Amino acid sequence: MTLKGMTRRDALRAGVAGAAASALPLVNVHGQTSGGRLAVGFWDHWVPAGNEAMRAIVDDWSKKNRVEVQIDFITSVGNKLLLTTAAEAQARQGHDILAFSTWLVQDHQRMLEPVDDVMGRLVQKYGKVNPVSEYLGKVGGKWMAVPASSGSQNKGSAARIDLMKQHAGIDVQAMYPAETRLGPGADQWTWETFLTAAQKCNAAGMPFALPAGTFSDATDWIGAMFRSYGAELVNAKGDITIRSNDKVKQALDYAARLFQHIPGEMFAADDATNNRALIANRSALIFNPPSAYAVAKRDAPQVAEQVWHFPSPMGPAGHYTPHLPFFWGIWNFSRAKPAAKALLEHLSQREQVEKLVAATDGYDIPAFDTLTDLDTWSTVGPPRGTVFNYPVKPHHKAEPSIAFAPAPPEVAVQMYTQGIQAKMIARMVQNKEPVDRVLAWAEREVEGFNR
Amino acid sequence: MSSLPPGIPAAIAPPRAGTLQRLARRRSTLAFLMTLPLIALIGSLVIYPFFYALYLSMLNKRMTKFVGIDNFTFLLGRETFQMVIWQSVIFAVGAVVAKAIIGFVLAHVLHALPDKGQRKWRGMLLVPWVIPPAISTLAWWWLFDPSYSAFNWALAGIGAGPVPWLGEANWARFAVILVNVWYGAPFFMIMYLAALKSVPDQLYEASAIDGATGLQKLRYVTLPMMRNIISITVLFSLIVTFANFDIVRILTNGGPQDSTHVFGTYAFQVGIQSGDIPLGAAVSLFMFPMLAVFAIFILRGVSRRSKEMAG
Amino acid sequence: MSGATVAQPADSAPIYHKAGSLRRERRRALIGAYIALAVFVVFFLTPPFHMLMTSLKSSAEIADLSGNPWIVSRPTLENYWALLSQGSYLTHFVNSVMVTVCVVAITMVISTFAAFALARMRFWGSTALATGVFLTYLVPETLLFIPLFQTIGGLGMYNNLWAMVLLYPTLTVPFCTWIMIGYFSSIPKELDEAALIDGANHFQMLWKIFIPVALPGILAATIFAFTVSWAQFLYPLAFLVSSDQMVLTVGIISDLIRGDTFQWGMIMAGALMAALPPLLVYAFLMDYYIAGLTAGATKG
Repeated sequence: MTLKGMTRRDALRAGVAGAAASALPLVNVHGQTSGGRLAVGFWDHWVPAGNEAMRAIVDDWSKKNRVEVQIDFITSVGNKLLLTTAAEAQARQGHDILAFSTWLVQDHQRMLEPVDDVMGRLVQKYGKVNPVSEYLGKVGGKWMAVPASSGSQNKGSAARIDLMKQHAGIDVQAMYPAETRLGPGADQWTWETFLTAAQKCNAAGMPFALPAGTFSDATDWIGAMFRSYGAELVNAKGDITIRSNDKVKQALDYAARLFQHIPGEMFAADDATNNRALIANRSALIFNPPSAYAVAKRDAPQVAEQVWHFPSPMGPAGHYTPHLPFFWGIWNFSRAKPAAKALLEHLSQREQVEKLVAATDGYDIPAFDTLTDLDTWSTVGPPRGTVFNYPVKPHHKAEPSIAFAPAPPEVAVQMYTQGIQAKMIARMVQNKEPVDRVLAWAEREVEGFNR
Repeated sequence: MSSLPPGIPAAIAPPRAGTLQRLARRRSTLAFLMTLPLIALIGSLVIYPFFYALYLSMLNKRMTKFVGIDNFTFLLGRETFQMVIWQSVIFAVGAVVAKAIIGFVLAHVLHALPDKGQRKWRGMLLVPWVIPPAISTLAWWWLFDPSYSAFNWALAGIGAGPVPWLGEANWARFAVILVNVWYGAPFFMIMYLAALKSVPDQLYEASAIDGATGLQKLRYVTLPMMRNIISITVLFSLIVTFANFDIVRILTNGGPQDSTHVFGTYAFQVGIQSGDIPLGAAVSLFMFPMLAVFAIFILRGVSRRSKEMAG
Repeated sequence: MSGATVAQPADSAPIYHKAGSLRRERRRALIGAYIALAVFVVFFLTPPFHMLMTSLKSSAEIADLSGNPWIVSRPTLENYWALLSQGSYLTHFVNSVMVTVCVVAITMVISTFAAFALARMRFWGSTALATGVFLTYLVPETLLFIPLFQTIGGLGMYNNLWAMVLLYPTLTVPFCTWIMIGYFSSIPKELDEAALIDGANHFQMLWKIFIPVALPGILAATIFAFTVSWAQFLYPLAFLVSSDQMVLTVGIISDLIRGDTFQWGMIMAGALMAALPPLLVYAFLMDYYIAGLTAGATKG
């Protein structure tokens, strides 16, 4: 039985993996997998249908390849997934494959099995990987984990069609239509335009709900804004570039002006505050994946009908949309590495990605360039096509980005979890500190991360 | 010693040398065996990991090099960590004092009620303590939400403006303390109520005959009788509050601008979220010397007093 | 006699003066007591009341922020029903009960023996041990769980419900031991000497004399252990991954919050139902509890 299962897997590997497979140590498979068992910890998708679709795909694969797969869906709520990752790294046991959120591949790089072979084949087939996934998933030029579609998200604009038209005079649906072209006004969708719109909507009692606390919704959009002003706190080489950096000053100055029109309470907002604002018909725009929209569809359908998703604004130094990727990594203590790799490769095929994206109403963003044209994004509604522009598409001329890139990840992750940029803004706006003092403070903080 | 209340059994017979001496050896072996499960449990699941954590805290970020006390000196030099230290102190001391006072008042008030009514009130006052705190804190968090919360809705109803419960440093500090007090006060209440019930009525009668006022009774009868329970409860609560994690984590995540971070949340942010486990361990370890001195001091006092009582 | 009992409410109310206006004083004190109680009951019960109201709302009503958040306009039991009929709430509930019962049992055995030995059979280092036991609370869970990952992992008990049975006693045993040391040392020593002379060994002495006499103290410790293990959050959050292994506290968080969307109605319903077992335990054992704490604590 074991032997039979093994040869079948070999056959599979030969099919998918080609020549690379023959290099894999077969003894390993035979000696340690005990007939092929795989324990997988996936991210617990907030759309339950996402979990079901995943389970169906894996069950199917498991039957075909005679590998027994045990699946756990682990929530990221309450930092559960984070703790689980730390736990398994320390305990050196747990799952074979685990979902790694944003920065965790970097944190646990020495405990992960390189997946260059798998990634090489996937890139050949599906094109380039987006820069954020590459920045977070590669260590020293080697892929340490496979970018996962499941859970990867963008945090572009989710705005009210009616309110933006009525109060700000912007027809967001025309600007970013559900077609592969830009509409009128898209070239003017800058942070300055955004500020004027924020002002008008705030005056009309429908303020933009832009969080500026230490939760990731705040960190992500602020990071994209800084980047589109070219404002780097730490550059790619790891030098601190804060003091007398005009671009940082420019970004801060912009934020100070913008926050004149954002409710003060947003400095204490968490990741649910903006969703609630949109769903409760109290805000014209938030930066969020379509989760807010999906809940609105259930609880407040008349609001959902008016929600349109499109990229965040551009700045003088470029057009960046916040992107938070998930990865699937294989622990180096796993005893079923070949099977784990085969499963990950299977999950990354277009056919599977298509199913997963469809099951989650388009929430998931695949990392590969050629996979941003799936049908789901055109069909979800009402309004039909609301998430068409949710993934970054080639015609947007935008780039997915993560806050604090391209600083070296071990410094960037600390700036990220501490929400340094948001705190700088809070110091400017809430404490009314002069900009030089804010910069000096930030520099001292960042120096501490550089140890 | 001479003020020993008659209600508490204190009799001790002088040891009988003959029988007991023979048993002494066997007895201490047996006693050791009886405490062995305790020692094994604490040793393997607290002491050993504690020393391991101590070792961890002396490694560099990637856990590849021994750096001695560098992590500790590094932390002490950080502005944010200095804030964390005094915020932890404010949080723990503020919350424990408030809990102790509220618990004391409530215990007194309850004790004065007729027995029948007491149960009902006691039951209601215990509710905060029986709801799992991880979830009740979520409920509080929702109540505090600035624009969509039930609190600010009610305030608006009476014409008051919205309060930035979690948005402004001092309000946020107040809010995290408030929730901790809400959760912990019933525990104090129960502990004190128990102590109050143990004060023999004869003592009050005697003091009444001496013409003592209510305050004098409180000061010369009630408080001395409750000193041990107050010490132990305060100590226990102080330690647990210092180490608190859930409440701050859920309500503010340390914000706004780090103004509510305490040891537990800061350690988590540094250690788990930013991937610097040694530094996170070092943060948590700061609590230990600060409280150990205090704890030994209190526990000694308690032991001394109970020995005095016992004879 | 009556003067003595009246004096106590006066502690928190205006100072008690003379015996002349006794009746009026007493009534005033009682009114003061009820006012104080009412204030605190409002403070203590406001969040639970809001939880109750929320648990009776449909998700559409919760999302609609135009109404009064403190009342429910179309009460429904759908949240409770959904929890009980689908999903893993019941599994988690049963897990919580199993873990708590085992932890309480283990705690009581360990701390009864230890307290007996420490209170009665002084041996080398016993005083230091008694103090040291309490000091273990100084090592917070937030520090311990990282090294414990290795310990638990080494035992092969990662993601195993029974690891909780191993871990929780570290949180319950020290305090319970302290309560019981206090209680045991208040038992007159003539009793055990008499027993020894009758030829009873130490176990018989513990079983036949100490446990029956100290039963309220044991119940007090039991209730403490129950509350702590029922509400523990960090260890299960860190060590349990599979849904079928989870306990209530973590189960509610992990099943009912999806990303940034909270199913408030079900969360609140789940929390209120989770509060029932401790509430019942208190209702039945309260009087014993108070009596038990009394002796343990004042002597402790």
